[in-house]
Amino acid sequence: MKLFIGYRRKMLLLPFLFLVPALLLYAVFFVYPFLFTFLLSFQQWDMISPDRTFAGLSNYAELLRDEVFWMSLRNTFLYLLMTMPVSIGLGLGLALLMESLSRGRAAYRFLFYLPVVSPIAVVAILWSLMYDHRRGVVNMLLTFFGIDGPNWLSDATASLWAVAIVGIWRSFGYETLLYVSGLKSIDKGLYEAASIDGAGRLSRLVHITLPLLSPITLFMVIMGVISSFQNFTLIKIMTGGGPNNSSNVLVHQLYQEAFQFFSIGKAAAISVILFAIVLLISSAQLRLSRSAVHYS
Amino acid sequence: MTRYWKSMEETIKHMLLVALALLTMVPIIWMASISLRSEEYVFSGHIVWTGPLHWEGYVKALTEVPFFRWLANSLRIGALQTLGQMFVGVCAAFAFAYYRFPGRDILFLFVLMTMMIPMQVTLVPTYLIVNQMNALNTLAGVVVPHLASGFAIFLLRQSFLGIPKELAEAAAMDGAGAFRVLWTVYVRMSGTMLWTLGVIAFLANFNEFNWPLLVLTDPDQMPLPLAFQYFRTETQMDWGATMAIAALSMVPVLALYLIAQRHIVDGFAQSGLKG
Repeated sequence: MKLFIGYRRKMLLLPFLFLVPALLLYAVFFVYPFLFTFLLSFQQWDMISPDRTFAGLSNYAELLRDEVFWMSLRNTFLYLLMTMPVSIGLGLGLALLMESLSRGRAAYRFLFYLPVVSPIAVVAILWSLMYDHRRGVVNMLLTFFGIDGPNWLSDATASLWAVAIVGIWRSFGYETLLYVSGLKSIDKGLYEAASIDGAGRLSRLVHITLPLLSPITLFMVIMGVISSFQNFTLIKIMTGGGPNNSSNVLVHQLYQEAFQFFSIGKAAAISVILFAIVLLISSAQLRLSRSAVHYS
Repeated sequence: MTRYWKSMEETIKHMLLVALALLTMVPIIWMASISLRSEEYVFSGHIVWTGPLHWEGYVKALTEVPFFRWLANSLRIGALQTLGQMFVGVCAAFAFAYYRFPGRDILFLFVLMTMMIPMQVTLVPTYLIVNQMNALNTLAGVVVPHLASGFAIFLLRQSFLGIPKELAEAAAMDGAGAFRVLWTVYVRMSGTMLWTLGVIAFLANFNEFNWPLLVLTDPDQMPLPLAFQYFRTETQMDWGATMAIAALSMVPVLALYLIAQRHIVDGFAQSGLKG
């Protein structure tokens, strides 16, 4: 009996022993900061003075009156719409093209994935020079095709597009790779059976390939939303949110409020709003996916 | 006739892919091309440089700034953070995959949730904590807050679940303790996944910008991606040197990518994305 109790207790204790490092780290650097953000969003503080004063909802009220906030919010969603559909579509198209080849697949995969592994800070500076109005390679190429390119990074109508193009350049290789591995796992017998039943190329694509790829697509959409909302580095280095906040996004405004203007309460309020948006979108996606995604 | 059309189709596809691959490579080709020109030809209008090669930019990048110190900082941060994430990840994944205990599923759901929340949501308080611990401008301040990685725990758990439990039970029968089971069965049998995760995590940690930007303000401590930014403001107009240091910063990453390409590609294929 004694032995039995000892055994049971060990079974409980051991798993927690293995979880201790992770749980401790999560407690200090995730749960506590997460709750702390909510508290800070109801306070007024400049990071330096010893006292934080209770401010009620004034940080949120200030944000709702702040034009920059609405601009950043709009740009956050615009950036998502500019990048994600193109990146996923390009990834799917390239994966289909590559998988139908008999030779050279590995070389293409290598080249298309190169931008994904490149250091993002280096990429940002490289593209900043590429977007130079007169001397940059982007406008040089456009001139070659007879197009007079804008002054990408200093033009309020072009700046967000400029960043989005870099975002697409950096991410479509990842989507291609995921789709290629998804295509590999599809049972080739399905296509043969469909061909015998008289299904053409298009109908095989629509009725077999796309449904079987839908779990991957869902994964990409969910992760794509989260990563596009976290797009800080490109904005910080390429445009600094400018000109005139035309390319400012929530995560960059948050950084400015906290570490340039030292209004911690306002920054925390942006964090809370960002969290609420991500939560809403993710749960909506999961709900939608139950009906739309095909699991084999 | 059909064979003729088949090879025709393949050729057209190759042409399309080559064109797209070239377009994708333009930034990297251009970077290399600018870095090798002399000052007067930087703006000559050529995309690819065919004239004499000039290495002044590289000399400047290697001698005027502590490039190797920055590289060492990067490698140190990348290696330590990756090893730490793997250690924490292996332990937690083992607990989730091997044991049954109350609260297991809720805890795992929590781990998944941490992946869904943008790091910026907790950015300011995490900075305040690190500041309070007097860990700004230290290695620990950069590395420790991100040691618990939901991505690592998730991938390792998936891989551990694929290992037959009978093997672990047989080892336990033979008198192996929990640590032994973890080491001899689970870790030994997940070699590929561990390498894959290691490479992917290392690349991500090596390239990280946002968090080091806040924690490391001392140029001597900065990793390459951050120091590079600092370098640009110093040499605002020197495109050749800027492109040279950009190219140099890419070298370690490209080398690792070339060596470990298989791991990166296969890793995604088996990471359980099949739903």
